[in-house]
Amino acid sequence: MISTVISLGVPVFFILVLGLFVGRTIEVRHFRSLAIRESQLQGILITQSKEYIEPTSQVAPTMFTSEAVIATDPLKNFLSSWRNFFGGEMRSYVKLIERARREALLRLVEQARGMGYNAICNLRMQTADIGGNLGKRGMPMGAIMASATGYHSALAGK
Amino acid sequence: MIVVNTDTVAGYRIQEVKGLVQGNTVRAKHAGRDIMAGFKNFVGGELKGYTELLTESRREALQRMLGQAQQLGANGVVNVRFTTSSVTSGAAELYAYGTAVVLVPAGTPVPQHQMAQASPQQQYPPQQYPQQ
Repeated sequence: MISTVISLGVPVFFILVLGLFVGRTIEVRHFRSLAIRESQLQGILITQSKEYIEPTSQVAPTMFTSEAVIATDPLKNFLSSWRNFFGGEMRSYVKLIERARREALLRLVEQARGMGYNAICNLRMQTADIGGNLGKRGMPMGAIMASATGYHSALAGK
Repeated sequence: MIVVNTDTVAGYRIQEVKGLVQGNTVRAKHAGRDIMAGFKNFVGGELKGYTELLTESRREALQRMLGQAQQLGANGVVNVRFTTSSVTSGAAELYAYGTAVVLVPAGTPVPQHQMAQASPQQQYPPQQYPQQ
C-alpha cells in the first residue's frame, strides 16, 4: 500500500517540482523580456478604433498579423484543477494568456516598426484552439492571433 | 495589392467594390511536433511549432483570398477578418475573408474608361518601406 503511494507519488511530485522551478523560471524570464521589449517600442500609437485616428501621410497602409502559442506547465494545471473544484479565478491561466497576448502584440508592433510605420489601428486579437480544448482530450495552451493595420501618422513624433 | 483590416484606406478612395473574397485552410504539424509540444507542456515556454503552424495557415488562407481578389481584378482588400475553428486537436483551421475593392489615390478623378485598367501595382507584403 505504502509502496504504491510512493511509486505513484514520487513521479507526480517530481513533475510538480519541475513545473515549480523550470516553469516559473521560464515565466519570470518571459515577463522580463516582455517588459524590456515593450519599453523599447515606446512612441508608437496603438489604437483599437476602426479608423485612422490621426492625419496620415501619403504612405499606403498595410495589414500585419502575428501569433503566439504559450505552453502550460504541470504546476499551472494542478493549481487550476483545484480552482476548478473550489471555484474562483484561475490566476495561473490568466498569466498564461496575458503572456500570449503581450507577445503577439509585441511581434505585431515590431513588424510595423520594422517597416517604418509609426501608428497601428484596428487591433484585433482572437484565440485559436489548436489544442482542441473544445473536445474531451484537450491540451491547455494559450494561442493568440492578432491583426492590425499599420499606417504612417503625420502627427506622431512631432 | 493594398490589404488592410480597416474599412477605408488612408490616402485612397474606393472606386469600385468587387465583393467578398475568402480563403481557408486546415493545417497540421507532423506527429513529431505534436509529441514535442506535449513535452514542452511539462516545462512551459513558447510552443514554437504551433506558432509556426498558425503563421503558415494564416499565410495560406491569405494567399488564397488574395488570389480570388486578383481574379476579380481588384487592387486592394479592405476589412480583412480572420476566424479560427477547432476541427481536431493539433490542427488549425483558418478562414480569412475581406472585401475586394479597386482603390485610387484620393483626389484623383479617374475617367470611366480607365477604371477597367486599374491593375494591382503594389505587391503584398511590400518588399520595402514605401517611398513617397
